[in-house]
Amino acid sequence: MLNMIPAAIMPLADYTDSKLSFFPESASTFSSDSDWIFYFISIVALIFFIAIVIALFGFTVKYKKAKGMAAESQTDHNTTIELVWSIGPSFLLIVMFYFGAQGYLAHRTIPEGSYELGVDAYKWGWGINYGKFVIHPELHVVAGEPTKLTMTSSDVIHSLYIPAFRVKKDIVPGRYNYMWFKATKPSEKVVTDEELEQLAAKDAETNASWNYDERQFTPDGYTFYDLYCTEYCGTNHSEMQTVVVVHETRADLDAWIKKYSKRASTESPASYGQKLYERRGCKTCHSIDGTKVGYVGPTWKDLAGTSRPLANGDEVLADENYLRESILNPKAKIAAGYQPVMPSYKGQLTDDDIYSLVEYIKSLSESGSGGEAEADAGEGTEEDTSPGANDEQAGDEAAQ
Amino acid sequence: MSVGSVPAGYEVKDPGYPTPEENYLTNSRGLLTWAFTLDHKRIGVMYLVGVSVSFLVAGLLALGIRLHLFAPEGWLFNNSFFKWLAPDKAPNDIYNQVFTLHGAIMVFLFIIPSIPAALGNFLVPVMLGAKDVAFPRLNLSSFYLWVAGAVFFVMALLASGLDTGWTFYTPYSTTTDTSVIMATTGAFILGFSSIFTGLNFIVTINTMRPPGMTWFRMPLFLWATYSTSIIQVLATPVLGITLLLLIAERTMHIGIFDPEYNGDPVTYQHFFWFYSHPAVYIMILPAFGVISELISVHSHKRIFGYRFIAYSSIAIALLGFLVWGHHMFTAGMGPMTTIIFSALTFTVSVPSAIKVFNWLATMYKGAISLTTPMCYAIAFIFLFTIGGLTGLHLGTLATDMHLHDTYFVVAHFHYVMVGGTLVAFLGAVFHWWPKMFGRMYNELWGQISAVIVFLGFNLTFLPQFVLGSRGMPRRYATYDPEFAGLHAMSTWGALLLGVGLFVALIVLLVSLFKGKKAPANPWGAATLEWACTSPPPFYNFERAPVVGDPYEFGDIQWDGASDRYVKVEPKRETIPTEKPSESPAHAGE
Repeated sequence: MLNMIPAAIMPLADYTDSKLSFFPESASTFSSDSDWIFYFISIVALIFFIAIVIALFGFTVKYKKAKGMAAESQTDHNTTIELVWSIGPSFLLIVMFYFGAQGYLAHRTIPEGSYELGVDAYKWGWGINYGKFVIHPELHVVAGEPTKLTMTSSDVIHSLYIPAFRVKKDIVPGRYNYMWFKATKPSEKVVTDEELEQLAAKDAETNASWNYDERQFTPDGYTFYDLYCTEYCGTNHSEMQTVVVVHETRADLDAWIKKYSKRASTESPASYGQKLYERRGCKTCHSIDGTKVGYVGPTWKDLAGTSRPLANGDEVLADENYLRESILNPKAKIAAGYQPVMPSYKGQLTDDDIYSLVEYIKSLSESGSGGEAEADAGEGTEEDTSPGANDEQAGDEAAQ
Repeated sequence: MSVGSVPAGYEVKDPGYPTPEENYLTNSRGLLTWAFTLDHKRIGVMYLVGVSVSFLVAGLLALGIRLHLFAPEGWLFNNSFFKWLAPDKAPNDIYNQVFTLHGAIMVFLFIIPSIPAALGNFLVPVMLGAKDVAFPRLNLSSFYLWVAGAVFFVMALLASGLDTGWTFYTPYSTTTDTSVIMATTGAFILGFSSIFTGLNFIVTINTMRPPGMTWFRMPLFLWATYSTSIIQVLATPVLGITLLLLIAERTMHIGIFDPEYNGDPVTYQHFFWFYSHPAVYIMILPAFGVISELISVHSHKRIFGYRFIAYSSIAIALLGFLVWGHHMFTAGMGPMTTIIFSALTFTVSVPSAIKVFNWLATMYKGAISLTTPMCYAIAFIFLFTIGGLTGLHLGTLATDMHLHDTYFVVAHFHYVMVGGTLVAFLGAVFHWWPKMFGRMYNELWGQISAVIVFLGFNLTFLPQFVLGSRGMPRRYATYDPEFAGLHAMSTWGALLLGVGLFVALIVLLVSLFKGKKAPANPWGAATLEWACTSPPPFYNFERAPVVGDPYEFGDIQWDGASDRYVKVEPKRETIPTEKPSESPAHAGE
């Protein structure tokens, strides 16, 4: 505990290096409006506050009397003064309300022709849908272009909050909520691709996942803005964070999307499956090292190929079919000791994605790499070629 | 003026000290006489003990929260002790349950009943000049309902915890596997306790005022209590129904709140806040009443703008029903609804501001004694002003988009609830302590406690405004390292605040055993409760008291010879009346 004292006695240390301001960086068209109104209210409030405090402590000092002394005056009303201080401040309130409502209407008036993205929030992560099965936890947008988010939740209420943009909106299951913003400050690419490859190789060795807070740039080398969930949603509410990257041009963004559009032909399904595990929210509920505490789903370690007890008392062999079913229709066979809380990934993962995930799960299990499993894997690859090809076609059409 | 110097034609009125038989604390002995008492004063004291224990528990949970947030990755609940205590819970889960219980206990078991039930029960009849409340048995039952509700909360804690936050938002609360039903049943029962207390006060104030006690001769504390009671009676049933619906949803999936069964979670928020926003005024209105008394008495000056303060209490009670939507500005209501709720929200700030100005005007040209209750009252005005003014940032729509559900909100409502209600509660306890227990406490240590509480409180919550505006979301068990400094500062503040509250507790407890005997009127106040002995006799007043102006300090004089305030009045003939019968008229014989 002692090593925390320096942090405590230098509370402003984090903000002194070029970050003295009261707000996080201002990076959208809403920021300046919001900040201006905030400062306006604060100044009005401060004027009243200072006056009140001066009166409060001034009177205390000035009219402090010894015990038993009588007050100088017993005046107990003055209708004029009372009416003035009741009605007077109301005008300032009307001004605050007016600017606030105006700023709010800007949030609610979504411009035509905005760049549209889908957002799926779930316990505890984000899937930003860029179309054509490209779903990635990071939110990538283009500077200077209005972006509209169409947001759904597959479990409980979440709320999407980007402090740098001063925007926030709850994501309520069972309905679509919308928000929009126009980012103004592009992120910078601060790390070269070679260095990134080295870092990725190092992470792969130690089996660590990317630490945004420590590195302060994304796995693609960009600086970022924080994106938080601000509606309490259970165990890992505070871990439900992702980042926003603002690209300078649409071409940049499209290049980034293309990079994540599907598994490269050189990449093994299991290693791509691991990426999906990280990216698609699997890791928030399923551990890969056997840990149970803090995870709401069964661990993936030694899962494939073993016999699993179910909540209804049956048992099931965790083969490829069971794993595939659990991804697409999670509530069909609930593992014993767990709640039916996993959302379905139907329509969110391509067949190749599912195949890659299953391969990855099998790679975490000693019994999963048996001869029988390998034969199945072969089948899977064959089946997979056609949807994969379709996907590519679709991508090409879009490019044209 | 000493007693000897009273001019001819005047007489000194000082009831002196009570005899053991007269004194409500000692006129009957044994635990059972307390357990089955119908005396409003004893029920008030039992409530006081109950809410204080609840506050202690919830306060310790708060320290747990702050200690966990000492470090960005979490500190307290990561310790191996908690792994041993709850092996199947992750630190995040423990944190979530601790903050939920902190909120639920603070709100339902402490803040809502603290002033109305504990102090109100003791004070309302005495200040009014009545012998008891209108329904003494209902009063006792409301206390036992409170105990039953508290038992359900403890059972929820021991069963499998509760991790929904005190608001029980759906669909999280309909799907989590923690003891939601147990806790909501507890809150449901507490609702009845609250309604019974409110009903009792409304009937008492309407029907049991003695001759001469007109509405505008009532002390402002009674106006505040009356307004609060109206809210309790009208709003609490909505909470009860909402919680029943929640339980039905959870067990039978009837499809009101849970989208999986075609319900709408935002409906729950509307229902919940339709109670819980007025409930915010259940928490703060009695505090306004207390502060009006404290400022006037310890400035020895008539309260400024009596009618404005009285009417503003009623205005707050009524307007408080129209503003619940401001809890849902980001939930996705229609733009017009949102804007209307924002406009209505601003209207509530006007009556609150009126009160602050009136208190300051009362102090102007007064004769201020810096007693412990006055120190707390001054702290209240300072802290409540910050709480009220930062509410403007949240009522304004454009800035609320940024600040909603961040630490700014946490800081704002702690300034109102803790800086407001708790500090007023402490001030009230110190103010009426001599009346309740007949003992004076150590004034210096009382003042020291007020100063430590004030400093510790500001150190805890001022940094949270900055945290919030910089984008730190609330209810986070871990956070980004850039927020670490301010969080650490807040934790140190919480520890200091804890020390201050501990000092206050010790001062009060010590006074019970070592305190000087309290005179009837230690502060020179003019309200009726100071006209009887300290502690009051069983039936409060031997005969219906002579009701005067509650803020007329002209005939209250400091008597140096006997070292106390006495009442000096012109001599007049009183018609001798019979002693009242043993049981009060309303006891229904």
